[in-house]
Amino acid sequence: MSTTRHLVNRRRRLATVTATNAPARTSSAPEPATGAAEAAEAAGPSEAHEPPEDPEGDADPDAQADGEASDEAAGDVRPPRRIPRLRIRLPAVLCAATVLLGAFAAWAFSSAATLREDPTRQNTALTDISRTSEVKGQISEAVGAVFSYTYASPGKSDLAAQKYLTGKAVQQHKDMLAEVRAQAPKQKLVLTTTVTESGVELLDGDRARLLVFADQSNTRTGKEEETTYAAAMFAVDAVRRGDTWRIAAIDTFAR
Amino acid sequence: MARVRTTRNPLVVAAIVLAVAAAGAAGWGGWERYEATHDDAAAYAGARDEALAAGEQAVQNMNTLDHAKVEQGLDSWEESTTGDLHKQLVDGRDAFVEQIEAARTVSTAEILSGAVTELDDRAGKAGVMVALRVTVTAPEGKPAVKESRMLGQLTRTSEGWKLSALGQAPVGNTAG
Repeated sequence: MSTTRHLVNRRRRLATVTATNAPARTSSAPEPATGAAEAAEAAGPSEAHEPPEDPEGDADPDAQADGEASDEAAGDVRPPRRIPRLRIRLPAVLCAATVLLGAFAAWAFSSAATLREDPTRQNTALTDISRTSEVKGQISEAVGAVFSYTYASPGKSDLAAQKYLTGKAVQQHKDMLAEVRAQAPKQKLVLTTTVTESGVELLDGDRARLLVFADQSNTRTGKEEETTYAAAMFAVDAVRRGDTWRIAAIDTFAR
Repeated sequence: MARVRTTRNPLVVAAIVLAVAAAGAAGWGGWERYEATHDDAAAYAGARDEALAAGEQAVQNMNTLDHAKVEQGLDSWEESTTGDLHKQLVDGRDAFVEQIEAARTVSTAEILSGAVTELDDRAGKAGVMVALRVTVTAPEGKPAVKESRMLGQLTRTSEGWKLSALGQAPVGNTAG
């Protein structure tokens, strides 16, 4: 097939070359002595004249072309056969490779992105050890500070609230401590909160959610000293501002 | 020979450039994907989420029991546990069945929140804390609702994570 196609093309080429490029060719090596180099040279300019013909070579019905090849030297047939074949195949192969590789690249990137966007991965609780212990430590300290209250120095609690609370948590904290504040001076109340367990449910950049178990001791130091203990559990939404984690919301699981 | 090069079809040159670029992109993409699938942190995160899901389910099972379906309930308790805890449940089963059938209570549990506190992926050990709301309904009177702070230890078995220890978080003098 390719032999036929090639020869037909070559005949056309030679025809065009003699018609248009004759002066140029006379300067090159004498025609009868054509070798591979000459054939390649001839093939070069031909492309400019008839590029669409090459890929459609199959359509040529002229099967007898083989016989007419005897016009040229027998050795002339082989090398040109290889070069145009490469010429025809190369773009096709390159296109196919580009499409396949491109498709693979697109799949690989999107698949990698999907994997990375998985909520399990986005949540770096425990996987990011230093951040996890940082938020646990700071939030435990914050919870202890804002939920502790001494009748003798009520300002300390306000200061703690300013330091550790932000957003919705400010009002929530105010509401939670309202009763304690009201009774504190009369009963000489000392409320102490200690976090006994905390776990990071979610950690995503500067946001986190923690589950907190805390013990609260409530001491009345009025006439008779009396201490009651209470168990507390709640979840805390935390945000990181600068280097410190603050409590942004408190979820007491109220129904 | 040189002339062959210079006269080469620009389309072919462009095709080569595109193919090389596509090969580069494919290599990069392949590497990205390989990295994404062979990410230790991701595997650890996966284990964490599995442990939490199994832990929450197990804690819920262990706080759910209907006197009318005691056997079924206790089967689920035994399925949720392993090790010493499992052994205790199996050993104490008969006595417990009697107790529950006498009390005729129905307990249901709702998970409020849960977190993994520690995870040793290699050893297959994990610690979970679970905030729970348990409703106990006796034949007479109003249902009692209590909130419960549970701490559990999980051990990985061939059938997934199971509870090997479970208890209430202690309350008291720590805040003295």
